Amino acid sequence: MTDKILTHIQFSNINKYYTKKHLGIFTDRKNSKAILDSAEIELKGGECVLLTGQNGSGKSTLLRILAGMLKPDSATVTTGFESLSWRKANKLIRRQIMYLYQEPYMFDGSVTRNLKYALNDKQLGSKSNDQISQALKWANLEHRAETSAKCLSGGERQRVALAQAWLKQPSILLLDEPTANMDEESRRSTEELLRRFKDSGTALLIASHDVNHFSQTMDKRLLLDKGKICEMTNQVTSAHDNVSLFPSTSNKLKA
Amino acid sequence: MESLTTTILEALTLLFSGDTELWTIIGISFRISTTAIIIAMIPAVFIGFVLAYADFPGRRLLISISNTLLAVPAVVVGLTLYIVLSRQGPLGEWKLLFSQTAMVIGQVALSFPILVAMSHSAFQSVEIRAWDTARTLGRNPLSAFFIIMKEVRFGLLGALFAGYGRIIAEVGASMMLGGNILNSTRNIPTAIAMETSKGEFAQGIALGIILVSMAFILTMSLQYMQGKGSIRT
Repeated sequence: MTDKILTHIQFSNINKYYTKKHLGIFTDRKNSKAILDSAEIELKGGECVLLTGQNGSGKSTLLRILAGMLKPDSATVTTGFESLSWRKANKLIRRQIMYLYQEPYMFDGSVTRNLKYALNDKQLGSKSNDQISQALKWANLEHRAETSAKCLSGGERQRVALAQAWLKQPSILLLDEPTANMDEESRRSTEELLRRFKDSGTALLIASHDVNHFSQTMDKRLLLDKGKICEMTNQVTSAHDNVSLFPSTSNKLKA
Repeated sequence: MESLTTTILEALTLLFSGDTELWTIIGISFRISTTAIIIAMIPAVFIGFVLAYADFPGRRLLISISNTLLAVPAVVVGLTLYIVLSRQGPLGEWKLLFSQTAMVIGQVALSFPILVAMSHSAFQSVEIRAWDTARTLGRNPLSAFFIIMKEVRFGLLGALFAGYGRIIAEVGASMMLGGNILNSTRNIPTAIAMETSKGEFAQGIALGIILVSMAFILTMSLQYMQGKGSIRT
């Protein structure tokens, strides 16, 4: 497995506008809308950050930008003391960051086949079967090894995606609503796997509209509102918090 | 009725007696069409992929153009290429007219829009999440492309068979660009057209049987493969 290199990364001045295009060619700049407006985020190894915000606030957009799937209109990336251009940062991101969808996409074929896609060329040797067996065991999916991945439940798919992450060993794991629409048992087992990632030094950024989830795992809670990210001062969540968080939260925010 | 039965029997005799002329025509037909589909396939599948997944200015316009090209009749493609390849045409010096190469060019031009349009819709049937997942798993763009190709393999095979079906049975462009020269550019559709115009139906029917059998085998094999691929445990 690849060594973890990235222990600290900072994204600042992230801007993303959605612009209308006429006939798919001509950009209508007058009607562009800022989804992210000078947003900033810092991720450290072994830290779990919960990103909250209303539906449509741009959480998924931000995560997709951080994962290198979506190009921002501008962004500055700093790792340690080095400031990187977006092109250079993108290469690093692809190697070190992994993004997990709310409903992970499963490729045609068995669970084992899907796990194989997470192995890099060096790993695809004689020991690949051992690694896949370990990943299956880690995610408690041994009994599903030969099942068609497309037939799995939402919770099982999430576990396959986490087992893929376990094989890839990214420095940063970005998760978009990982426990949405899950039953209590699946949610608990997903949270348990995420805790193991955190304990192993992986930085976690979880986007969720429900602040009550991940209370045991998270170290910091951020709020994405009107394109800007603000850090919440209180770390302990409550049912009341869940209601009062939106839409106005200015009195609870730190700078 | 009696004459139809006699003609069919004659056609079958021609087929199974190993008639040299008939089997040469069949050989030429398959050689030209297979070459054309192989040449057209690689760039067409790639363009279909780019149209489905890449976001660039003019993408929708290109999709519309590619779909419009589907409706262009084979005769018009033949006529255009005839003008280009004829002695007075821009590529007249190459002396390609009435050769197998000219027929291959014509068939590439005919199958290309089908391959692009059908591979585009095949790639579109798989969500962009598939591509993003392959990339976030650490796959490089080429490797991710092959993973997605595997996901849409049946759609791509369907495109391939549809494209092949169109060019192997196409008469207009083949006649204009090939000239229907025996043992050189006479293929199944031009031979059928000529024999029918002479009132000789036996060879036409024999060649027709080959075309229908080929279509049947291709369709059956696609169905078989799809059935095998769709088994869920």
